[in-house]
Amino acid sequence: MARGYAVSKKDLSKILYRSDDFNENDIVSKVDLSDDTVLLLSGKDPITEDLERRLEEAESANIAKETFLSNMSHDIRTPMNAIIGMTALAKKHIDEKSRLIDSLNKIDTASLHLLSLINEVLDMSRINSGKLQIANELFSLSDLIHDTVTIIKPQMAQKGHEFELHIDNIEYEDLYGDIQRLRQIYVNIINNAVKYTNNNGHISVSFSEEKKDGSCVLLFNCSDNGIGMSEEFIKKIYDPFERAGNSTISGIEGTGLGMSIVQKLVQAMGGEINIDSKVDEGTSVTIRIPFLYSEPAIAANALQGKRFLLLMKDSKSCEVLEKYLKEYQVEYERTTDFSSMVSALTEADFSQKPYDCFLLGHVDDSTGNSLDMASYIHRSNPDTPIVLISDDDWEKIEYDANRSGIEHFIPIPFFRKSLINALDTVLSGQQGSSSSSRIDLSGKNILLVEDNLINREIALEILRSTGARIDTAENGKEAIERFENTDEGFYNIILMDIQMPVMDGYSATRNIRNLSRTDGKTVKIYAMSANIFAEDIAKAREAGMDGHIAKPIDINKLMQTLKQA
Amino acid sequence: MKEYQERYIANIKRVNQLKDVYSQADEGFSVWYEGRLQAKKEMDILKKENIDLLNKDLFPVLDSLYEADAQTLQDLQDFADTLMDWKTNLDCGIYVLIHESLLSMYRVRKDRNKIIQELYKLGMGLYYRNRMFQGSQTELAKKIYFENEMVFTEGGSYLKYFDRIDDEETKGYIIRSLANISISTTDRKRRIATTAKVINIVSDPYYREMAPSLPWDAYLRKTYQQMSANRSTLSDGGLSKEELSSIMEACQIIFEPEKENKDPNIRWLWPFYEMEYSCGFADLKTTLSRMEKLIESTPYDRYDESGLYGNVQLPIYYGRLLQNNPQYTKEKNIRFLKYAYDKMMKALLSFPREKIDDFYFYDIALLVFSYYETEGVDTYHDVISRLIGRIFPQNYIRMKKAGEIASLFAAKIYENDPSHFDDISFIKEIKDLKEKEDVLLNYVKDCGLYYDFGLTSMNMKKITDIRDLFEQESEIFTLHTQFGYDNLSTRESTKRFADIARGHHRWYDQSDGYPKDYIRIESPYRRICDLFAICDHILFEYHGDMDKLTKEMKEKSGTRFSPLALSYLDEELSAKIEKVLTLEKEEYYRELYDLISSIH
Repeated sequence: MARGYAVSKKDLSKILYRSDDFNENDIVSKVDLSDDTVLLLSGKDPITEDLERRLEEAESANIAKETFLSNMSHDIRTPMNAIIGMTALAKKHIDEKSRLIDSLNKIDTASLHLLSLINEVLDMSRINSGKLQIANELFSLSDLIHDTVTIIKPQMAQKGHEFELHIDNIEYEDLYGDIQRLRQIYVNIINNAVKYTNNNGHISVSFSEEKKDGSCVLLFNCSDNGIGMSEEFIKKIYDPFERAGNSTISGIEGTGLGMSIVQKLVQAMGGEINIDSKVDEGTSVTIRIPFLYSEPAIAANALQGKRFLLLMKDSKSCEVLEKYLKEYQVEYERTTDFSSMVSALTEADFSQKPYDCFLLGHVDDSTGNSLDMASYIHRSNPDTPIVLISDDDWEKIEYDANRSGIEHFIPIPFFRKSLINALDTVLSGQQGSSSSSRIDLSGKNILLVEDNLINREIALEILRSTGARIDTAENGKEAIERFENTDEGFYNIILMDIQMPVMDGYSATRNIRNLSRTDGKTVKIYAMSANIFAEDIAKAREAGMDGHIAKPIDINKLMQTLKQA
Repeated sequence: MKEYQERYIANIKRVNQLKDVYSQADEGFSVWYEGRLQAKKEMDILKKENIDLLNKDLFPVLDSLYEADAQTLQDLQDFADTLMDWKTNLDCGIYVLIHESLLSMYRVRKDRNKIIQELYKLGMGLYYRNRMFQGSQTELAKKIYFENEMVFTEGGSYLKYFDRIDDEETKGYIIRSLANISISTTDRKRRIATTAKVINIVSDPYYREMAPSLPWDAYLRKTYQQMSANRSTLSDGGLSKEELSSIMEACQIIFEPEKENKDPNIRWLWPFYEMEYSCGFADLKTTLSRMEKLIESTPYDRYDESGLYGNVQLPIYYGRLLQNNPQYTKEKNIRFLKYAYDKMMKALLSFPREKIDDFYFYDIALLVFSYYETEGVDTYHDVISRLIGRIFPQNYIRMKKAGEIASLFAAKIYENDPSHFDDISFIKEIKDLKEKEDVLLNYVKDCGLYYDFGLTSMNMKKITDIRDLFEQESEIFTLHTQFGYDNLSTRESTKRFADIARGHHRWYDQSDGYPKDYIRIESPYRRICDLFAICDHILFEYHGDMDKLTKEMKEKSGTRFSPLALSYLDEELSAKIEKVLTLEKEEYYRELYDLISSIH
């Protein structure tokens, strides 16, 4: 700030202005403000001062940059060294398969590490420049948890940690948010737990929900019995480039940006993060993030009265599964090993009460694994769906699973909606493509107007499966008569051929629409014709029809139309 | 084949001959002009005959398909196959219709093998039909892509019955359906995962032994080819290492051998270089330099597959690379781009008409989509103006007329109210009234070239020249507004035409028409768009009685059409418009003749 003393040139004793910190003994410059006013400045002039302040800021930014580069150059150089060195070694020992594989594995690890470093730096840069965008798209919580667990499982296994996953009180499975960023947050936290816990430790992760003002708050907790953190360190944990410099853990690498990014992401989602930790005892990280949710819509039409055979060892998943199956009146039998499963199959065969679906959990014992069991079941029950319920990575096992006859996969953890909807889809599809979208039209009356006998019979056969009552007419005139001879509102739907003798479909529709009774205007009328020029369809609409079904009738499209009617 | 089927095919071929505007161009304008008028007359007759053939012969067969004998079914298959030759694509819509019908019938008959075969054929038909709007990301386009993906998915899902299907040919259809999910899906992860799965299957002795007569090695190569097509997504990130390595391996298998070829086919060599760039094995500078050599080594008059690739696709990819890396673009790169684009135009404009096929149009579509407009190269506006007349001559006349009619309207309105179009800033800022009028009218005439730009680049005329549109095709037709807008709005030189392309089918009061997300009031160009909504209607609905048409339009004043614009449509203006529609026809043909003569 200016340390100024302004006086009149004519009368130097006339003080026009004096700043509090003006120092008479340190006058460094004189500035003419006007013809009769002079400003005396003590200390540095404001311009120099401003420049110096900027220089200081720049130097401090530079120091931060250098610190960052120094941190990063080590972190980037280390894996790069591994990649270059191991590539050279691989070339040198190109004929020694074991050494080659060893080198390639190391290149693989180093490359992935390098990639994660670069991603973190880019994320931080995006956050700092305000370019971070949080998506708000519908996602499945079940998929999020499954993906997260799939990603961290290999590291967990490598260090021999015991891992527990608890899912409590999840009512809303379909949430609106940024699934990729959420996965990044959870993976980062669990990865820290894995890294900062000595081998053969214990890590527990839980997810639960709380409902709050039209949104739900997702609670995530990750607890470990690792090296923990001091209070002093926890205060700095969100500063970029900080990491636990504890000598008990060697070889831990990272940018030190992870927790900083996590905090920024959680904040951007309107959430909060709490850390509770004690040195040598462990750490517990809790994250609460509010989400908007989509009301669960559960379809279980195909499930009721079906018979399932379960082969599952994992008691926790199985308990939940059994609970849901009971809720939806599914008859099931549970087996826990290969021999009891074979007995159940034989019994079903003998009593001629076949199963509608087989649910296999992850089994791997002396009698065989899940895929062997699936092959066995598939050979004797080729048309019955086999569903694998597992925390495996489906992408990795899909090919072998398909070859064993497994066509469907439900990831663990599963929730009520995802499980029931998935099973319903499996069983709906199992009824064959010809009836995959059959619908229930019991209590409805349909008038089928078609002059061609074979077409009529085929349409009748398809329509009968809907449970509707079907009447037929062979031409437009007959259709009008039938319609007129019923009580008001009797027919719900009329399927009308276009080209017919006596009276065509257009005229018949126009006549029905012009009848004095009200249902003539409201009854749904659909054209059935092979003429699919846009003009033909416009003509059908002009005649008063509600839609058009191309001939020959596609069963699925007909069902879709009837469903909408 | 049945007589009506042969007749239908012959008619299409004849229409394709008649469409050739270069025919008789050497014999002087008068002969050529008479020839064009005759050709147009004959084309109208042939189109009508084709519609009759479908109504009277094909549709009744489909209507009672369950009664059809084996010969009739075989004839339908042959008819469809002839219409859907992959290169010439005579009528993809009928191919789709026939296979949809056969599929519906076989579903009812529960004939599994036939269902599988028909699913594959239908999937291919839909794929080729959908190529006309490839790249569009509207909701409707996505819905149509998804239908295609589901057809292949259903065909591929029969893999679970592979061991119980006795017909080996059917087994082949299952494998190819499964593989073709990758060409129909827009989901990159699904595309890669499915292709990887098929590579496993076709390499697996377990499946090979069940169908030894199938061309497994050819399937394998084709599937690797499909995997290699994902190479351009390598640099987008987000791929797992398994996905990454699958793509890289496929590229090596498919493209690396071309490096050893003394006369390499650029179509195979460039993708290898592209893969090297995407994987980080070659930097941008090296890659650009490689492209430059390939482009330079391709003579502009090389019209085979490799030539078309080197002359059209590579310059487009070169521009795309510069566009994606502006910070590394040097002046010399832009100079080269200018050279490459000039050569591309020379190649396209001199392309022998007898060699023009769907692939040629595919390249045009690529250009329309990906032309990089930047300082130092011709503007998009210049390029498109030069291409339209050459490639879409029939449209050219209509576009010219639309521009002329709209400018008559604009002149009349301007005469009464010079500030009427002042929502458009570049018009408003001109103070001199005469200059302002000139700029306005020239702009409106140029709008004529672009208002149906989407339709032109989708090549819908290929269908409408031979028959009327089917219901789903007419739904696809609506995509042209967004298609045109997307391309015009992203280039500086054509931005001002984009809203006209987008909004001219939307009703004035927003109660009908398309696209729904065009909000008239938000567009500064809305008053020009209002004019083109009217002009387009006049062009399609004028059948010799302008008074009647004016009366009909005025009934829709305030709903479909702008009441203000229509209020200027008086007797005097109607007469001028009618003159453009009839008497001055020769003038437009003269312009087209001059244009093609200069190219010829």
